Amino acid sequence: MKFTLNWLKEFVDFAGSAEELSKLLTMAGLEVESLASVAEPEGGGQDWLFEIGVTPNRGDCLGLLGIAKEVCALTGAKLRFPAVQASKKDPAIGKRIAIKIEDLDQCARYSARIVDNLTIGPAPAWMRFRLESCGIRAINNIVDATNYVMLETGQPLHAFDLAKLSAKQINVRSAGATGQFTTLDGVERELVHEDLLICDGTTPVALAGVMGGLNSEVSATTQSILLESANFAPATIRRTAKRLALHSEASHRFERGVDPEGTFRALDRAVQLIVDSAGGQASSGSADCYPKKIAAIKITLRQARIAKLLGIAIELKRAETLLRSLGLKTTRQAKQLNVVVPTSRPDLTREIDLIEELARLHGYDNIPTTLPLLRPTGGAMDYRLASERKLRNFFTGAGLVEAINLPFIAEALNELFTGLWQGEPGAVPLVNPLAKEFGAMRRSLLPGLVDNLRVNLAQRTASFHAYHLGKVFRRGADGGTEERLCVGAIMHGPPALHGLRGADQAPLDFLQCKGVVEGLLELFGVQNLVSWRPLASAVLHPGRSAELTLDGAPLGLLGQLHPDVAERLEVPQVYVFELDFEKVHQYAPRRMTMRPLGKFPAIERDFAIVVERDFAARRIIDWIDGLADPLIEFVRVFDQYIGAPIPEGKKSLAYKISYRAEDRTLTDGEVNPLHQSVIDRIGNDFGAQRRS
Amino acid sequence: MTDSLEALRGEVLERIQQANSVKELEQLRVEALGRSGSLTLLLRGLKDLPAEERPRMGERLNQLRRELELELDGHLATVNQEAKAKALAEEKIDITLPGTRFERGHSHPLTLVIDEIVEIFSTMGFEIARGPDIEDDDHNFEALNIPKDHPARDMQDTFFVAGGNLLRTHTSPVQIRTMESRKPPLQVIVPGAVYRHDDDATHSPMFHQVEGFMVDSNIAFSDLKGVLTHVLRQIFHRDAGVRFRPSFFPFTEPSAEIDIQCVICGGGGTLRNGQVCRVCKASGWLEILGAGMIDPAVFKFVGYDPEEFTGFAFGMGVERIAMLKYGIDDIRLFFQNDLRFLRQFN
Repeated sequence: MKFTLNWLKEFVDFAGSAEELSKLLTMAGLEVESLASVAEPEGGGQDWLFEIGVTPNRGDCLGLLGIAKEVCALTGAKLRFPAVQASKKDPAIGKRIAIKIEDLDQCARYSARIVDNLTIGPAPAWMRFRLESCGIRAINNIVDATNYVMLETGQPLHAFDLAKLSAKQINVRSAGATGQFTTLDGVERELVHEDLLICDGTTPVALAGVMGGLNSEVSATTQSILLESANFAPATIRRTAKRLALHSEASHRFERGVDPEGTFRALDRAVQLIVDSAGGQASSGSADCYPKKIAAIKITLRQARIAKLLGIAIELKRAETLLRSLGLKTTRQAKQLNVVVPTSRPDLTREIDLIEELARLHGYDNIPTTLPLLRPTGGAMDYRLASERKLRNFFTGAGLVEAINLPFIAEALNELFTGLWQGEPGAVPLVNPLAKEFGAMRRSLLPGLVDNLRVNLAQRTASFHAYHLGKVFRRGADGGTEERLCVGAIMHGPPALHGLRGADQAPLDFLQCKGVVEGLLELFGVQNLVSWRPLASAVLHPGRSAELTLDGAPLGLLGQLHPDVAERLEVPQVYVFELDFEKVHQYAPRRMTMRPLGKFPAIERDFAIVVERDFAARRIIDWIDGLADPLIEFVRVFDQYIGAPIPEGKKSLAYKISYRAEDRTLTDGEVNPLHQSVIDRIGNDFGAQRRS
Repeated sequence: MTDSLEALRGEVLERIQQANSVKELEQLRVEALGRSGSLTLLLRGLKDLPAEERPRMGERLNQLRRELELELDGHLATVNQEAKAKALAEEKIDITLPGTRFERGHSHPLTLVIDEIVEIFSTMGFEIARGPDIEDDDHNFEALNIPKDHPARDMQDTFFVAGGNLLRTHTSPVQIRTMESRKPPLQVIVPGAVYRHDDDATHSPMFHQVEGFMVDSNIAFSDLKGVLTHVLRQIFHRDAGVRFRPSFFPFTEPSAEIDIQCVICGGGGTLRNGQVCRVCKASGWLEILGAGMIDPAVFKFVGYDPEEFTGFAFGMGVERIAMLKYGIDDIRLFFQNDLRFLRQFN
């Protein structure tokens, strides 16, 4: 809402500066969003243009009158209204035009007045200046006067060319099966049953409260007008305006509530301005259809409630003063006020609404600052937060930066990157995406990370190691949606090394990426619950990818991006992984128990075997673990060798077994035969040839 | 014999002084004191002396031997020390060369800010609650007193997903979900992503909020002022001015916008160079928080008796706080994940 200071001063005296008024209004809830000096036309003086952000509850402040009332309440000044000759309700006007409201729920009141013998021309310069300062295009002395009065009173008005209303029978009704209607901007609008129309007889002439019709528009040749000042139901106007994307000054005000008692005031003021600039004669009275008068609301305000909600006692006497300054009527009764709210303030319907007015007028600054007395809520440690922090610390140590990406993604990428939900369809599409390439909610965090890689490659970065802890989404079986917190990561290039140039760093490989995942699983104590299997996936390199399962259910995947996919996404060789973080967190044991430290020394023995190239090294470890020999402390693989003198198609694997007893120092005499028997049996069971 | 003894002494002592390596000294030791060394030879010559001179001469020779050994040992220690000092000096490195280390990772600046806010509220006894990003209309709007066909819906442009649900436009639905399942006293914060159908230099279609609320039988607007003033001064500066202005949110009443003194110009509206502060548009104040007393309509929706319980709720934009704290001037930087940006935050 825009207005100028000099204009406002026609309604209320204000002695202070524009800045002072700006602060006063802002601190009362009418936030001044901009304030600028403007020069009035034709040798006028300086004026100030205010723009106020009017909150949706304060439709009354979409007119100068409402803002002036606020100033009165805040400063104690008296409200003025420009002197107008008030018209009376006049049944005689019915001989020239009849008014009927078919749908009373949609239109509470319809008032109208006629002006004849008009001369259409431009409005006076001062009026055009004020309108255009406030962002409304000047058109002619009729339309401009209606807009001017709307800015003054908040009551939207509409002028029909009376000659074009052939039936002389205004009928306010729902559109029903009307079909189309052409608004005065020349656009043919498709109507729905619920849209509210102003009809002349059966012919629609205006889309009520939104925009007039082309067929009854005031033109240069107009001689007589019917001036409408009506009150329409907010929700109906809003639905129509929103559906047609036809947001007008009128609909904006009707949506927020207009005072049903204000129709005459606006009519008479507009008629006066029209006659002043366009000549003509106004009908002595106004037509008025207001079958069911809207009653003023009565509210009880309890003194105790004020203190309970605000934390400060406001005496009833002071409360009365404050509320009356807003034009509310109050009577005191013991420890409460009985308050009558005028129809100009439809936002005040409950006790809490009055308490807010008291707080506002008393001044938020004058309410003390206290700390609450709290009962303990019995809050518990937040394990999820602890897990998230643990994860982030881990990645920070491991050299990965944290990325945060928007969840919107192109459908095609969603089909490729299915994340944990392989093979299943059911991405969640957006109904109104910002653009087609952001058409759905992501199923995987990886495409976003690939995007980030591209951004960084453009900066010629040699390596990019990043993770994203974020949600992925899919459609659920029941028609609902499912979301899951996952952690995805991308690793490109060897880890960034600070310092002098040492030996050339080896290129990043699968095992380095796997090492990060292993470290993560170990951190959460779930490494022994996880199984690794080769993975067949369209997005990952068929020979360099793995699927992780936990407790039999998918946990995640890891591997090199498939060269075809990398080519398509225009990125170089890169490793990625994605894990279900909720599951990692869920399975992480909450307790840690110390294992006793061995008192007696261990004896370590290594052995190497030659096996087929595609033999899984893990099989030997699983087999030895399966022996459950109490003297075997652990076994691990520590080398793999391919090449001469190992025959083609074979590889050498080297393992280390640690032998330890809890109760004695082991001797070679005890360990050697045991170790030999383990190796012999491996040779037999796996057909592995011993190398050392 | 005395002469040759003195000559030997003089010669050996001089050679000791001149020697500057362990090797030389050890060789000298052999030459002078060894089995066929010059002193040893003199000792052997004793037997050719008259018997009465032998003890005196023998005593002198032994004295000389002790003297030379002492000198040799002493000089050897010196040479050793010098050699060590020299070796150490040669091992000297340029300590201004860079250390060798792998680049650390970095948490995202939004995470840092959320962590800080969570920490501040945790010390005040607030718990964390979470909720879905894809919400239903009831929790995102209706329960929060934002009916259909109400202009308040214009305050939050909404993304809709297939099936009628939407992307939450604020974290307030979690307030409803928490109150639906629990009874007061409650003090809860809800950090999370929210979505608005908006995309320009100052708006991102996704951003983050920390929502919070406190409900009990005796919570007043003055408590809202107290708690939020304390929190803002922790986040920004303990002397920062904080101002509460009336505003409107459908789910709170009375409602407030909370401003802090501009962190860029210090509240004066102009910069040191005399230019107008663009961050606060010369007003000296920055809008940082929306808050208010929870509307009775919200309590009714979740089945609380508004006569019994009162409470306040608030919501703050994490990006805005991060931008002001770290001097970030474009919201899109948060989601480009450029290493040059991310590595600046620790």
